[in-house]
Amino acid sequence: MSGATNKRPFDAGHAAYLALNILLLVFLLAPIAIVLIFALNPTPFISFPPVGVSLRWFEKFFASDEFMNALWLSLWVASVVLALSVLIGGACALALVRGCLPGRTFLTAFFMSPLMLPAILTGLALFQAYLLVGIGRPVWGLILAHTLVAVPYVIRTTLAVLHNFDRRIEEAAAVLGASPARVFFEVTLPLIRPGVFAGGVFAFIVSFDQFPVSLFLVVPKGETLPVVLFNYMKFDLDGAIAAASMVSILLALSVVLVLERLIGLKAYVKL
Amino acid sequence: MSTWARPSPIAWLVAPAALLFVLFFILPFGVMAAMSLFSGNPANNPNAFLTTRHYERFLFDTAGIYHDALWSTMRIGLITTIVALLIGYPLAHWMARMQSRLGHALVLMAVIAPMLTGIVVRTFAWMTILQDKGVINTLLIQWGLTDKPLPLMYNEFGTVVALVHIYVPFMVLTLTGVIGRIDERLEQAARSLGAGRLRAFVEVTLPLSLPGILAGSLLVFALSISAYVTPSLMGGTNVLTLPMLIAQQVGTSFNPNFAGALGVILLLVSLVIVVAYNRILARLSGEQGMA
Amino acid sequence: MISRHKISRRQALRASAGLAAIAAVGAPSILHAQTRTLKITTWGGKWGDVMKATVLPAFEKEFKCTVSADQAFPFVPKLQASPRNDPIYDVLHTNSNEQWSSLVEGLVMDKITAKEVPNVADVYPYAVSDKIVGVTIFTSAIGLGFRTDKGLAKPTSWKDLADPKLAGSRGGYIIPVNSLGQAHFMMLGKVYGKGLTDLDAAYKALETLKPIKLVDFTGQMEKMLLSGEVSMGVIHDSGVYRYDGQNQPVDFAGPSEGVLALEQVLNVTPGSKVKDLAFGYINYMLRPDVQKLLAEAVWYSPASKKVKLDAKYDARLLTTPAKVATLIQPDWKWYNARKEDIDARVTKILKG
Repeated sequence: MSGATNKRPFDAGHAAYLALNILLLVFLLAPIAIVLIFALNPTPFISFPPVGVSLRWFEKFFASDEFMNALWLSLWVASVVLALSVLIGGACALALVRGCLPGRTFLTAFFMSPLMLPAILTGLALFQAYLLVGIGRPVWGLILAHTLVAVPYVIRTTLAVLHNFDRRIEEAAAVLGASPARVFFEVTLPLIRPGVFAGGVFAFIVSFDQFPVSLFLVVPKGETLPVVLFNYMKFDLDGAIAAASMVSILLALSVVLVLERLIGLKAYVKL
Repeated sequence: MSTWARPSPIAWLVAPAALLFVLFFILPFGVMAAMSLFSGNPANNPNAFLTTRHYERFLFDTAGIYHDALWSTMRIGLITTIVALLIGYPLAHWMARMQSRLGHALVLMAVIAPMLTGIVVRTFAWMTILQDKGVINTLLIQWGLTDKPLPLMYNEFGTVVALVHIYVPFMVLTLTGVIGRIDERLEQAARSLGAGRLRAFVEVTLPLSLPGILAGSLLVFALSISAYVTPSLMGGTNVLTLPMLIAQQVGTSFNPNFAGALGVILLLVSLVIVVAYNRILARLSGEQGMA
Repeated sequence: MISRHKISRRQALRASAGLAAIAAVGAPSILHAQTRTLKITTWGGKWGDVMKATVLPAFEKEFKCTVSADQAFPFVPKLQASPRNDPIYDVLHTNSNEQWSSLVEGLVMDKITAKEVPNVADVYPYAVSDKIVGVTIFTSAIGLGFRTDKGLAKPTSWKDLADPKLAGSRGGYIIPVNSLGQAHFMMLGKVYGKGLTDLDAAYKALETLKPIKLVDFTGQMEKMLLSGEVSMGVIHDSGVYRYDGQNQPVDFAGPSEGVLALEQVLNVTPGSKVKDLAFGYINYMLRPDVQKLLAEAVWYSPASKKVKLDAKYDARLLTTPAKVATLIQPDWKWYNARKEDIDARVTKILKG
């Protein structure tokens, strides 16, 4: 029988497994390939097959102040949301698992609820609340609204890591003389860090792509990219939105790549 | 761990999240739930009065479309979840077991990229693929496999396809962590005891990944029952979900009171499902609830 | 000598620093006294581009104010949620049906006359008719768009859309969310029944239009026509004519029963704190030069009688009293009162 531990025989079963996965990858990537084709196709509407290659939509995108401002705003809002949700969500997950809080199951479900509500209601409710209180629509209001919808993701991934956590490592450190604070910062934190940052990646993506909540909370000249794209699309369905999308994908992927290098999501996987 | 133990000081770490939620979730939603019991906006309209008519409107459904909308929402959510699981599990398994760091990074990029496309453009990409003059139908007709274009869009099929596409990455990223933590030696032990690859998978890996399956499913279900932009753009008029109805009430009927009532109903139904899921999860995996 | 230079330079620096400080403190208060902000709404796309590049900067310069233009549709829910005495917009630009809904909620004024906006005296009657709340600045004609390369005869009647040959390649709108869809629906009542308010005839006619591809907004309809996804669809003339010169095989037909008006209407919020600026803005948008610029940019028909468009625009847009007379204005007040029931019923009819 198979005694090999690391080498898998490349047989029909394995080939089928690979083929299936590649097919699934094609499913995931096909629309993006279409977007790329659309972004390079000079005709001003969706058409297939494409008629040529042209950079005019990218030029239009980069030349447009509106698009560029929206892109930078989306990027830096998403970065702030990433930081905030990691801190708030990570702390919350720790409290839920280690804090012996009463009603833990209910609390966990409660913190997940922003995910279940149509974001248009979240946006409208916050809009009404902001106006009622009289603060208008400041950028920090937008950031905190995004954080609200992003925090559940961080909580989830951190909970997942904490559940399978071997407490004995911490106990060992304590037995060796480390203070609780030192145990936390030098043992616990590094071990849960990949989980927290996986949630952070979610948070970044969710904020960057967030639409319905932003719809209500942005101000003229302070619109995020998804809002600008949606409104552009209502009147001008041309390749510029595809170009915008390709640029967003590349930028956001670079951020994720950097995070992966730094933190190593693979470490999260193997924890 | 006894649930009756006194809260440790770590419990205070829940404070920032609690504060965020109280200010930005409970209060605004309190306002919205209150609005759902009024005929108008009491802050602006002195003639607004308390009424349950919005809830009655949904419950009695004389229009004949509201209950349908709720079932559609749940049905589309369920189908999306199952399909996302069937697609996401193999990918997650592949990613989790991959040895090469480069390969892992590439697959990760491929999995995350759909989430970054942007809701608008992604929908239009699917239109390009699925519509009558789209990629699939053009190819099928060219190859003679069909003489009339298949209706792949402006119906539930197109909606589910587009939703699955958005949510598979969430499923994969959730599962890949759990699967990765399953000790491969357990599988190998089963194999060395005589089990075939498939059996080792079904009887060892699959049960151990159950927490991940349920966590991922819950996430995707929650997201797909609250989606409205994609179903609006992909479903034509054949699809009407509760979130779409809410969006219509807010955006074109200018009736935030009824929209609020629908939102409360949706939230209540969802919470019931989440709590039920958590109970099943706890029982099946023997752990404390992991949402 | 040198020391005197140094002292005097230092003194000069200090003096200028002092002056700068005074200026920095004083300037904002001077600016505040003059720069008011006008909050408006605007569409995006080409219209938005022209507004932001040309029309609004010129307005800001002439009226010494700042204009804050919101492009994030939808606008009325936001206006609805903002306090009445400090509304989020001073001027609301939207279609006629939404203006009527806004009036019912007390969000906009009901009558604007030449007293507040002098240029109102120069507009066609439809622009300030009793079917309008506010002031119309442009209009389009809702008719049938069709492809010229499918062997179709140019449609002459609204009934041509129901031609069995067009099954599966005709296009319409999701009625609850789109005013063209709502207008078309009322037109069915007129064409197949007793008039725009004949709902029974309209519901029956809707059944005969199945199967039909439905979209949310006109941009989608334009793309469906351009890509051949549909061969004929309900669309406004602007949506077809804007592709003029691009050799696209699409054309617009105004059916014999009449075209429906899709008006661009401006109104002022009662709680606005800069009403004079708001009226001034509406007046500005009715100036012949501004009207001409925007009309030719997006192929809208100008509401002002005093506009002379270039020949190619003049030929196809509604620029004479005779052409304007073909416009049918629905009774949005009547429709909005029944919208919920109509929405529910058409959703049932058109579902699967």
